[in-house]
Amino acid sequence: MAFILPFLALWTLFRVGPVLYGILISLSHWDPFGSTTFVGAENYLRLLRDPRFWEALGNTFEFASLAVPLIVSLGLVFALLVYGAQRMRWVRVVEAALFFPYLLTVSIVGLVWRWLFDPDFGIVRITAKQMGVHLPVFLNEPRWAIPAIAFATTWWLVGYRMVLFRAALEDIPVELYEAAQIDGARWYTLIFAITLPLLRPAILFAVVLTTISGFTAFGQVLIMTQGGPGRASEVLALYMYRIGFDYLEMGQAAAVGVVLFVIMLVLTLLSFRWLGYGTEL
Amino acid sequence: MSVRRFLYGLGLTLLATLWILPVVWMVSTAIKPTPEIFALPPTWIPRRLTLEHIRVVLERWPFLRWFFNSVVISTSSTALSLLVSIPAAFAFARLRWWGRDIVFLAFLSSLLIPLEVNVPPLYFLMNRLGLLNTYPSVFLPIAAMPIGVFLLRQFFLNIPQELDDAARVDGCGSFRILWHIILPLSRPALAAMSIYMFIFTWNEFFWSMIALQKPTMLTLSVGLRALQGAYDIDYGILMSGSTLAALPALVVYLFFQRSIIRGITMTSYR
Repeated sequence: MAFILPFLALWTLFRVGPVLYGILISLSHWDPFGSTTFVGAENYLRLLRDPRFWEALGNTFEFASLAVPLIVSLGLVFALLVYGAQRMRWVRVVEAALFFPYLLTVSIVGLVWRWLFDPDFGIVRITAKQMGVHLPVFLNEPRWAIPAIAFATTWWLVGYRMVLFRAALEDIPVELYEAAQIDGARWYTLIFAITLPLLRPAILFAVVLTTISGFTAFGQVLIMTQGGPGRASEVLALYMYRIGFDYLEMGQAAAVGVVLFVIMLVLTLLSFRWLGYGTEL
Repeated sequence: MSVRRFLYGLGLTLLATLWILPVVWMVSTAIKPTPEIFALPPTWIPRRLTLEHIRVVLERWPFLRWFFNSVVISTSSTALSLLVSIPAAFAFARLRWWGRDIVFLAFLSSLLIPLEVNVPPLYFLMNRLGLLNTYPSVFLPIAAMPIGVFLLRQFFLNIPQELDDAARVDGCGSFRILWHIILPLSRPALAAMSIYMFIFTWNEFFWSMIALQKPTMLTLSVGLRALQGAYDIDYGILMSGSTLAALPALVVYLFFQRSIIRGITMTSYR
């Protein structure tokens, strides 16, 4: 029992404690210069009445519904490609290149993509123009800001997913493929009849974990658009930051945190349901 | 067959090249003079090289200090989480005690709580503890993540129980079993967890940005944001800062690609 105490203390104080404390703060009004008073559900009601909150919620859903499928599916495709080329000599280099962006900190990712997407001198638009394609001004157009950030996020995280999927692929016994090949199965049959069914748990985890990181996206948005143009790309985490640390409405910010927490909990449970897995974690 | 293999290889190589191009462009922008940054058509390989932007970054901002801060915070969170997770994982994997399964379930359910959700209460907590703008304010909450306990517990469970039993017969206590038998056999798991924790802390952004506001206390991740001017954007400076900040990751990656990828895959429940 004594072995558990150090971690238990740390965990209680800095992990679970803050969750409970956050609920408490979300039920109070906090005056930066005075005292804290209990106000019940008021912060939550104010959230519900704030059109900005609903915008942010919608933006978060839009971001996640773009980024999560992109990251998971591309991660899987990349993993299959790399797995299929195991005998190729420079496959290690390919894998290294695809994985490398994950090691960059989010602010580098944000700054680099801000530069790549620059309306006037960004290489993406210039190259497209040279090839005769007219692209939108991604980060400065309300419709395109979130898709552009989702794309940058995909670039950043897909290598991480790839590596995990590849490890899962290696757990599948080669004999299964060999047996199917003897029966005359083609590569697409192998993928759909053997690989994908066996990867279901791995895909489930990928979806859950990517969704969680999608719903808490913050750094890349802050750096690439500051939530703009206007508030077109203001996601929940950014809204929470603005409300709490710019407007000093800490109670309301904590309420956003609780809402985020609940969304995450519901999404996790739902995806376990849908994909039908009571996995042992 | 060999044509197909060739095309497959070519396709993969193109994909990898495309994927790494943003990094190349970052470095290219960092080391070319400002007029060339905005030149049309753009030059991928700079015609003239300059270290001017890098000099400005190092002169105008405490960049090396940020680097130092990042190293200290990441090392501390890794060390602390090893220190507390090892005995906890041992207790879950090897010892019988009242309430073990309930405590484990509680840890388990907190696994998926992202740090971001806790930012407002953590701010209050750290403020009250007087820890804002100090290293512990960042590494304490990160070291409290239960991920290491899970990884290590899983690994310990796969070490044969007979080794423990034999040691117990010889009169070894729990602590000596952990120290002399379990730990030496767990090097891969310990390495994996350390790599994961270090990268996670190094890249952490939201909470670090809130906890550390003093210019000299920032981490690299947070400090880079300060390079963005309020009105104009100097891409030479931004890309130099980014390149400098990416350099350690790149160097370490070149030498330890295998172990880093292994560390990442081991730490994640796939």
